[in-house]
Amino acid sequence: MNTEKNKRSYKAQKVIDRMGQKLTRQMVGSLTACVHCGMCTDSCHYVLANPGDPTFAPAYKADKIRKLFKQHYDWTGKVFPKWVKAGSVYTDEELQELKDIVFGKCTNCRRCTVNCPMGVDLATFNRMARGLLCHVGIMPEGVEYVAKEQWEIGNQMGVLKEDYIETVEWQEEELQSEMEDPTAKIPIDKPDSNIVYVINPREIKHDPRSILDAAKIFYAAGEDYTMPSEGWDMTNFGLFNGDDELGGAVAGRVYDKVEELRGKKLVISECGHGYRSTRCEGPNWAKKDITFDAESSVITMLEYIKQGKIKVDKTKNPGSYTFHDSCNNARSCGLTEEPRELLSLVVEDFREMYPNRAENYCCTGGGGAMSMAEYRPSRLKSAKIKADQLAATGTKTVVTSCHNCVDGLTDLIGHYKLGMDVTQLVNLVANALVIDDIVEENKKKYAEKEEVSSGSAQ
Amino acid sequence: MMEKKQIKSSTLSVIKADVTATEIDAFVFYARNDLKLGSGFGNAIALRGGPSIRKELENLGPLKVTEVVVTTAGNMKAKHIIHACGPKFQEENLEQKLKTTIINVLKAAEANGIESIAFPPMGAGFYGVPIDVSAKITIETIAEYLNKGSEIKDVIICANDTREYKALEPKLKDALKKAA
Ligand code: SF4
Ligand code: SF4
Repeated sequence: MNTEKNKRSYKAQKVIDRMGQKLTRQMVGSLTACVHCGMCTDSCHYVLANPGDPTFAPAYKADKIRKLFKQHYDWTGKVFPKWVKAGSVYTDEELQELKDIVFGKCTNCRRCTVNCPMGVDLATFNRMARGLLCHVGIMPEGVEYVAKEQWEIGNQMGVLKEDYIETVEWQEEELQSEMEDPTAKIPIDKPDSNIVYVINPREIKHDPRSILDAAKIFYAAGEDYTMPSEGWDMTNFGLFNGDDELGGAVAGRVYDKVEELRGKKLVISECGHGYRSTRCEGPNWAKKDITFDAESSVITMLEYIKQGKIKVDKTKNPGSYTFHDSCNNARSCGLTEEPRELLSLVVEDFREMYPNRAENYCCTGGGGAMSMAEYRPSRLKSAKIKADQLAATGTKTVVTSCHNCVDGLTDLIGHYKLGMDVTQLVNLVANALVIDDIVEENKKKYAEKEEVSSGSAQ
Repeated sequence: MMEKKQIKSSTLSVIKADVTATEIDAFVFYARNDLKLGSGFGNAIALRGGPSIRKELENLGPLKVTEVVVTTAGNMKAKHIIHACGPKFQEENLEQKLKTTIINVLKAAEANGIESIAFPPMGAGFYGVPIDVSAKITIETIAEYLNKGSEIKDVIICANDTREYKALEPKLKDALKKAA
């Protein structure tokens, strides 16, 4: 009889058992490589905002997970348990404490990783630890809420199919009116399209203007595209709560729909974690080879300008702008130059914030933090670092390429009374479009058609 | 996507559909023990069904695991909702409890004169029952029950996506072989 096992709560034992199934070679590398040099410490926004509190240090947080690995899955923990600080969890209370660390003290932003000489990727095993806890039902209430929405309704914000369709149709009417073209369409489920365009449910719920802006750009470019009626949510809460099954189910729904529609290219609207999940991690989670191209809408918009498919006028976006790199775009996907190139083409006054690109600080809403109300005070305290960065640019507007960052930045801008606006590239590109000639032509064309039809009716 | 089989005087089918949007006598909602609707399908029930369902639930809980209650379905296409408090998050004796929950749903359906009923793959997804386990238990339990003869005419299992459908469909064939 194993007395060690008998001392442990049912859930704690499940967590330990599950860890063995979830460890990957990459995680084991990160769990064993740390030499506790402390070089990552000051890279974390939580540490910088809480000087003197060692419990926010990346290596300290990592050790809370690492000790379990050492105790149960690493030979060093069996031979020198004290020396390597091996340890276990025994009670549900200890699991709750672990929850407050892995969800409440780290946004999985990976800034410590790019500053670690040993390549320790805390965010990867922090995500795993989140998944272990969720597996036994231990998670923040907001995480529970959002994960269940995405599992069952198919998107993170519980948007029902009828509401999605209605919102897209409403934006189609807006497009027709702005373009003076009653035949302008935002197609849904159009087979064999060049592009299948997938979005963040926040666009349906809080920001339908972004759907209209994208539609205007597609219209101006004469693009053959469609939005899908299902599998349209390119966000993926599985990246945040560590549930690979959810990750695979969500990404799989997107891929299945693109294949069903025989779309040639999947274009992912601006969202850091959505881009990372759908383009990079999704095929692994879904255990599927994707047969079509996938790209960020940032690349699509930039290519339209470069190929002369759309014309833009940067004087249409007056004022000063800075750019915030989403952690997932910049650190995990290397999407740093294209957004800047695009931004420079559509605004006159672009000023970098420092540090930037892969060294940029998290908006503090990363890793699903915006859904975890209980940690908001500590998140906003850590946001002082980002607030100082923003204020130092002296700009009026911060541009980002991520819906999640829009919410994180808006929250901290309000909290620190910075008086800045937040916007995305799609909004600036749409605003800079030179389309007056198209609209004028449409006006004439449809006025003539109306005259002809009213004449023939007489 | 649809696969349909006859079992005695009843049919058992697997389709790809939103269980809360089906036109049916009753659908099953995998409920919390406090009967709060919460998010996911609970949110769909609240939005599509209106406030009356929540009101009905106020006096019906809490439930123990495997217990079920029946309410009307407000403004939804279904007539009733069977709220089934199944096991969650790897709890002990999960498979047996899941089976009992499904049997209790079918008994409640018969007791309420419900002739057609839609199930989700029970416990799969958010509550962490692996889809293969859920598919096997959901289909085998229902097939066994119907094979004894039941007043329920049609049972459908609604897969939320292709991944779930692909797990459910072969289990339906297996279950029929066993029942034969
Ligand atoms: S994670 Fe890397 S940088 Fe941080 S203490 Fe360990 S070895 Fe040093
Ligand atoms: S991943 Fe980001 S938030 Fe987490 S410890 Fe590292 S720097 Fe801090």
